[in-house]
Amino acid sequence: MEDFRTRVARLPVLGLGVSTEYGAGSSDGALDPAALRREHPDYAGFLEVGVEVVKGLDDAARAWAASGAPTTYHFLDINLDDPEDRDPAWLAGLRALCAELRPAWLCGDAGLWHFGRRERGHMLLLPPVLIAEAVAPMAEGIAALRAASGLEVLPENPPGTAFVGDLHLLEFFARLAEAADTGLLLDCAHLAMYQRLAGHAPHDGLDHLPWDRVVELHVAGGREREADGFRWVEDEHGPELLPDTWAIAQAALERAVNLRAVVVECERNPIAAVLPLFAKIAAALPARLADVKHVPKDSPA
Amino acid sequence: MNPRAIQRAVVRMLYDPDFVAAIHGARALPGLSEAERALLRRVDPRAFATDPFRRARAVQAIVEEFPCSAAAVGLARVEAFLATREFLACLGDGGSMGLAFATWLEDQAAGAGRIEAAMARLRRPMAESPPLVAGTLRCAVTLAPIVVPAGSLAWYEATRAWLGATPLHTLAERADQAPRAAPPRRSPVRSRDPGEEQLLIEISASGEMSLGTASEALVRLLRHAQRARTRRELEREAVIRGAAADESAGVIDDLLAQGLLVAG
Repeated sequence: MEDFRTRVARLPVLGLGVSTEYGAGSSDGALDPAALRREHPDYAGFLEVGVEVVKGLDDAARAWAASGAPTTYHFLDINLDDPEDRDPAWLAGLRALCAELRPAWLCGDAGLWHFGRRERGHMLLLPPVLIAEAVAPMAEGIAALRAASGLEVLPENPPGTAFVGDLHLLEFFARLAEAADTGLLLDCAHLAMYQRLAGHAPHDGLDHLPWDRVVELHVAGGREREADGFRWVEDEHGPELLPDTWAIAQAALERAVNLRAVVVECERNPIAAVLPLFAKIAAALPARLADVKHVPKDSPA
Repeated sequence: MNPRAIQRAVVRMLYDPDFVAAIHGARALPGLSEAERALLRRVDPRAFATDPFRRARAVQAIVEEFPCSAAAVGLARVEAFLATREFLACLGDGGSMGLAFATWLEDQAAGAGRIEAAMARLRRPMAESPPLVAGTLRCAVTLAPIVVPAGSLAWYEATRAWLGATPLHTLAERADQAPRAAPPRRSPVRSRDPGEEQLLIEISASGEMSLGTASEALVRLLRHAQRARTRRELEREAVIRGAAADESAGVIDDLLAQGLLVAG
């Protein structure tokens, strides 16, 4: 198989996009990706669809896919380091959904999405254990999923309040990317959470990362929380970026030479509330991402 | 170091404050080396308690799958399950919360609990049924023959209708109202004993459940066949359950033809 640095040249440049997941658009005041694409096509060049195979796609995601507009597939239900999680039924469901969405690639948090088997009530999202021994099983899972799906699989650094292990998060993901020979999705808000909890400055550890493997960025607002004297950042996906997140995003935009896509995660906010955030990020995009032409065959309904 | 062992400990720490304290305590913990434990100790214990809704989501998932059992035992008892060894074992060994609840429930919710526990097991056939050995017969894995106190099916159906589309909401909203009648239970006092009823529960390919009463002979025979049996053993059981000796082979053939029994 060709190595990642050859394969990445074939990945499409998607520019700036927006995320959704099943039912996200049905709550009051939630963002309507199709409306955003109609009104501001440069802000919704593609849709990143968060998917649990058992739930499938909602009407909004189906309409977007039917329009021919670009998508990426963000998994919400696979523990990459667990071979039993890649069971035949789940893989068949994944392939069927990919046939409908035609995503440019798969991506998602490389952590623990659920304890035990995939069942109601089992869902979590925990970061990986940041030790050297955790790299190989996850890398094997990424390679296996890439082979099974025929798509690139970009592991994302998950959010969390409890990071266990002696490696810096970015060193773990650097080792993972090399072991799996894969690209990466860097979530700037999640990284900011980690840096604060670990007592690091926003830019600490950035030199660990093989930046030519970073294909996608996530940017989102977070909320500072405190309970019982413990302070953390909640992954709120709100319209206000924390300064740490913005500092990381700016550095990433400068360094990621193979960057293909930037997602603003703000699915539960009205369009008017998030336009300033989109404008801020659009203005910071490198020219090769900002110049993507977003002319769909049709607009999603 | 074993990342899986550490990850499972982290999961348990999210639900079990006593385990968090034990991690920071002096006594040895089975399944974790001192090096693994040292990594866990480096994390602020408060970091495992930042999600105030984690337990509520677990309760919600249980109530959605076991609504009538929850009505029978009450929400406080359902939440108490999250501190039991059955739940903590399920976190530790990667098991199923639903099956762990079904096991823990035993007879606490009487017939309603038996019905919903049987349904939970039917939804997870791979976890319950080893492959069938050639030459043996067994009750279909889509079928659960159960025996419950008489009146349980009626109580279950009435309670399910009362709970409506949002059982957790109904139970939470009406917790302070007069309790509904408890589910029927067997009693050693003959005048109070409702007796038994026999039920068959079946799951369809799409996951829909159907349940109804069946004859005692059929349910007892199918229960006998929940373990793999030889044909001769089942024919003998059919005779015990009332079939004529010269009809027993035909009984087994009919059950095979109907898909109630399957052959290896």
